[in-house]
Amino acid sequence: MISTLAYGLTIGGIFYIISIGLSLTFGTMRIVNFAHALVYTVGAYVLMAALRAHLGFLPAALLGVLVTIPIAWCIERFVIRRLYGQSIDYAIIATYAVLLIGVDATKWLFGATPVPLSDPIGKHVVLAGVSLPVYRLVIIAVALAIFAGLELFFRRTVVGKVVVAGLEDKEAARAIGLSVDKYFSLVFVVGSCLAALGGILYAPITTLHPYMGFHVLLVCFAVVLVGGLGSMRGTFAAAFGLGLVMALTGRFWGPAAETMVFAVMAATLVIKPIEV
Amino acid sequence: MLASIQRWLARFDLVVIAGLFLALLPVLHVQRTTDFIVFCLYVLSFDLIYGHMGRLSFGHMLYLGAGAYGAALCSVHLSANPIVALAASVILAGAVGLLLGPLVVRTTGACFALINLAFNQVGHFVVLIAAAAYTGGEDGMTAAFSRVGPLNLSQRTHMFAFALAILLAAVWFVRRLTGSPFGILLRSVKEKEERVRFLGYDTTRYKLVAFVLSTSLAGAAGGLSALNYGYVTPSFIDPGRNVEVIFAALIGGAGSVYGALLGGVAYMVISNYLPDYVQRWEMFLGFALLLLVFRFRSGLWGWIAQRAPRPAVEEVAP
Repeated sequence: MISTLAYGLTIGGIFYIISIGLSLTFGTMRIVNFAHALVYTVGAYVLMAALRAHLGFLPAALLGVLVTIPIAWCIERFVIRRLYGQSIDYAIIATYAVLLIGVDATKWLFGATPVPLSDPIGKHVVLAGVSLPVYRLVIIAVALAIFAGLELFFRRTVVGKVVVAGLEDKEAARAIGLSVDKYFSLVFVVGSCLAALGGILYAPITTLHPYMGFHVLLVCFAVVLVGGLGSMRGTFAAAFGLGLVMALTGRFWGPAAETMVFAVMAATLVIKPIEV
Repeated sequence: MLASIQRWLARFDLVVIAGLFLALLPVLHVQRTTDFIVFCLYVLSFDLIYGHMGRLSFGHMLYLGAGAYGAALCSVHLSANPIVALAASVILAGAVGLLLGPLVVRTTGACFALINLAFNQVGHFVVLIAAAAYTGGEDGMTAAFSRVGPLNLSQRTHMFAFALAILLAAVWFVRRLTGSPFGILLRSVKEKEERVRFLGYDTTRYKLVAFVLSTSLAGAAGGLSALNYGYVTPSFIDPGRNVEVIFAALIGGAGSVYGALLGGVAYMVISNYLPDYVQRWEMFLGFALLLLVFRFRSGLWGWIAQRAPRPAVEEVAP
């Protein structure tokens, strides 16, 4: 049971890291960035390629995050910004098109067979009589550190405060002279880098395959909805909550884990309908 | 002269559509033409909420699948009468729409797209694993249908005529619907829902009605494809296939009955014949979608309507 709970917190941490970018783009621009699933996949695959080239785990992970910066910048600059202010539907379809292209390119380069990665730390600690992989505890620690860092960023820095203002009421933020959109590409790139980091951290726990992004994107979208649109703390709480839901369901009936997350999402929508 | 031809075409559009599909018969196999018709019906149902109501769904396969499984389950457990099975598919898809509709129709844009997709994922899980004892899981299930009077759907030509008749009825219905005050209200919701609400309309209720109509039509398309193939597999409800109908609605031109039909045929032609030549199909689809979104938004029908001399066919249509 303790290992199930620890697993739930681990995947919750990963969901949180990935959901930040979704929550930010969703909160400020109201679009769902399907390409988020692409940078997640790219991060994991770059990690795999770098590990095969006999790089250490940390440099490989860093490389994976850095590679996504130009990709995310190009997506923002050439796809999303050109459609911004027009119909939201076109932006959603266009990012989905980018995802399709990217997934097919991944398949082209690395093949469609799933690739397992080994645990980079490989040590276990014994907690309350249960042996837990250290790597999973590291993931939880990374997620908490990112949460603390973002809290500081949003409360203490000017850029962070502008982003929060944009999340809460974009029109009002504009009306007092803040150019929310200017900061948006920065937020977008940071969110994408975090998604790549999520993919990198998750990769040794699951297996890599070109379509890995689709499912994670949906689950993370459920996290954003359950946590409340544009609420960073809500996203944090919902990520760990849904991670636990997934782990507990998976313990009793493996295939139903994802469905249970969507059931929680539906229940949230029944209790508190979204009108946007 | 040209204008009178246009008016004639608009007046007898059902005859023209039937004629065009009949003209496809010698080019394609009968079963494949039926497939085209069924897909057009599906695009029509999708366009009712996308083109007319302005809600992009990324989970419309759920309702197609509900219809297909509804027909197949009906043939096994209830009655092998194809008309009863078709009714069952419409009722099941409509019921699923009625169940989920109150949750999704309040939302717009990205929320609407992804909540639908999430429910589609749940539906896929249900037929693939949770209800595998009834639906056959990954292997799918076969559906055999009896004959009704002179109608024997195991004969390809009968199936073709039956599907065409259903499609024409649906076209007539959707055209009447979108031309009615209800259709005007839907388009107003697409333009600016807040203002419609200010006028005193309970927009949620109207959106729900349109949503359930759309899911029922998609269910009819699913039921017809179960009738056409004689089997149902989880690919009928695969959430990854939602992009097909979005592509079709975009390439045909959203918000027009004729655009939906044109888009359905265009997508089926592309997807049936191009993969032989294009190695990387998903990549091709992605680039084509980008091209449509950036350069070709009005679609084929919009392109035709722009070039046609005024009064355009669309506007003459009653």
